[in-house]
Amino acid sequence: MMNGANKIFLLVVFIACFNSIESIAQDALGVIGNAKGVPASLTFVELKNVMKGEKQRWKDGTKIVIALMKTNTPIGQTSAKKIYNMSGDELNRFWLALVFQGKTSAPTFFNSMSELEAFVAQTPGAIGIVKKENTNEGKLIPVDGKKEF
Amino acid sequence: MRITLKTKIWLTVLSVVMMFAFFILFYFPIQQEKYLLKNFNKEIQNLANTVALGVKIAITEQNFEGVQTAMDFVKGDPHLNFISMIQTDTVWNDNHTNFSIKKAIFKTYPEGKLVSVNQVSNDTILVKEAPFYTSMMSGSILLGFSKNEIVESKKQIRFTSLIVSLIVFVVGIIIGFWLAKNISVPVLALRDAANKVGEGDLTQRVSNYSQDEIGELGQAFNRMVNDLEKAREEIKSSNIALASTNSELQSTVENLKSTQAQLIQSEKMASLGQLTAGIAHEIQNPLNFVNNFSELSVELIAEFESEDATQDDKEDIIKDIKSNLEKIAHHGKRADRIVKGMLMHSREQKGEKIPVKINQQLDEDITIAYHGLRAKNSAFQCEIVKEFDANIDKINIIPQDINRVVINLLNNAFYAVGDRLISNTDLSWKPAVKISTKLSNSSIVIGIEDNGTGIHKEVMEKIFNPFFTTKPTGEGTGLGLSICYDIIKSHGGEITVESEFGKGTLFNIRLTI
Repeated sequence: MMNGANKIFLLVVFIACFNSIESIAQDALGVIGNAKGVPASLTFVELKNVMKGEKQRWKDGTKIVIALMKTNTPIGQTSAKKIYNMSGDELNRFWLALVFQGKTSAPTFFNSMSELEAFVAQTPGAIGIVKKENTNEGKLIPVDGKKEF
Repeated sequence: MRITLKTKIWLTVLSVVMMFAFFILFYFPIQQEKYLLKNFNKEIQNLANTVALGVKIAITEQNFEGVQTAMDFVKGDPHLNFISMIQTDTVWNDNHTNFSIKKAIFKTYPEGKLVSVNQVSNDTILVKEAPFYTSMMSGSILLGFSKNEIVESKKQIRFTSLIVSLIVFVVGIIIGFWLAKNISVPVLALRDAANKVGEGDLTQRVSNYSQDEIGELGQAFNRMVNDLEKAREEIKSSNIALASTNSELQSTVENLKSTQAQLIQSEKMASLGQLTAGIAHEIQNPLNFVNNFSELSVELIAEFESEDATQDDKEDIIKDIKSNLEKIAHHGKRADRIVKGMLMHSREQKGEKIPVKINQQLDEDITIAYHGLRAKNSAFQCEIVKEFDANIDKINIIPQDINRVVINLLNNAFYAVGDRLISNTDLSWKPAVKISTKLSNSSIVIGIEDNGTGIHKEVMEKIFNPFFTTKPTGEGTGLGLSICYDIIKSHGGEITVESEFGKGTLFNIRLTI
């Protein structure tokens, strides 16, 4: 049987976890892309293929360049979870393995959204995952017809 | 074993070439291979370190650019065999009291290549490991490179070394030929020419026009032979001149010898003349006795034959005649002895040492010398002092030689006191000549001393030299003392002189008994 102190501790932990899950759940993600190469819309499957390096060139032949927020940022963690279904460390190991074996080029990781957006805007074939609410909706590429996921 | 110059050159060149070839063929490749292997190790280790650093940055910074660049570089190398990332995990037991390190291959390039976590270098692959440590993952990069490049490089080095060695060998042989030709040939020619010059052939010359030391040696040799030839010509002409001079000298020497002999004879005759004068004086007395007693005996015989003579008178006359005849015989014998002494002085005979009573001999000598001088100058008066050591009896000498020496010295002494007498102003001074003998250990010393003019210090050293004289021209030959010196030396003795100019002179003759 738990005593009173333990009950209070479990309650605090539960509230903290709930708040965190709620925070993640609240980070709606969006996709932005450079004008060159990146299609106007994507399916989620296509997005996952691109983001995992399984597809390396757009249809017009432009090299795909992936831009992600670092996994020590909330948006980076959300991206890892929603797209890769991995933790931050797992994502690192995933890309390390691919890069080590020379299968693909690793994504470019950023500390701030503005840097990421600027990079995508300036790099042909670049595609990036952003926080939807901080981004001009006009720039967002619909995934499965939605501008957020 | 004789090693020729050519052989030495060849041995030297071959030694250098062989050493150089050995260096190029063996030592140089080994060092190059070591250096190559060292660099290769270092290079592979650096690559492994770079990849490990890239991995670390990729994990900690989420920046994969470094590892990607390093991997691109590694993968671009055709000698890459494999590159593996090894993950190191710490595995605890259930109680979390003990742990073990577990190594596992995380990824390998090329994919599918089987690599052990404990892979090490072997003959064909060089393996280097570089560790990395992050909070997320630790491990190491295992990089394997084929050694084919090294093996190929080694082969290339050995091949190059062999070619260079052959070139060095060939060049060495060519240099050997060249050296042998340019050094030994001229040197041998020089040797042959020198040998011929040594045998007297001065027409030999060497023709070497090289500008090096051998060329200079050849030129020096030619100059030397030229000088030698010139010197020989000069010597030849000098020899001719010398032969002529020698002939003249020989003739002069002959003349000198003849003159010397004449002078010695003159000296002897002069000495003999003085002796004769002295002896004549000595003979005069006995002759007077002989004459007087002869005349008296003639008168006595006349009385004996007269008619007036009685028997008693006749007997007395006979007694007187007998007495006279005895006196005549006595004085005749005395004269005979004097004449024999004179003959002894004048005769040329081979000297033999005989025992002579030296004191008696010297007594006679001073008498003869003194009277000889007085015969020429009856006004000459001189005190004669005799100090003979009574312990001296007979000594072995050649009497005529010693007499000649003593009389010569006495004549000089009398001459010196006579000379001083002419210019003397000291009334207390009286001319005196002293002759003495003294026994000294195993020798006797004959002293002849005068209080005459003395001898100048400057001429003291020259008085025994032949032909040296201080007497006026015509009065002395300069041979007297020289002969005295030779005689005393031939007796094994010595003659010394002490003199003070203006006070007198002392000659000491030391003769071994």
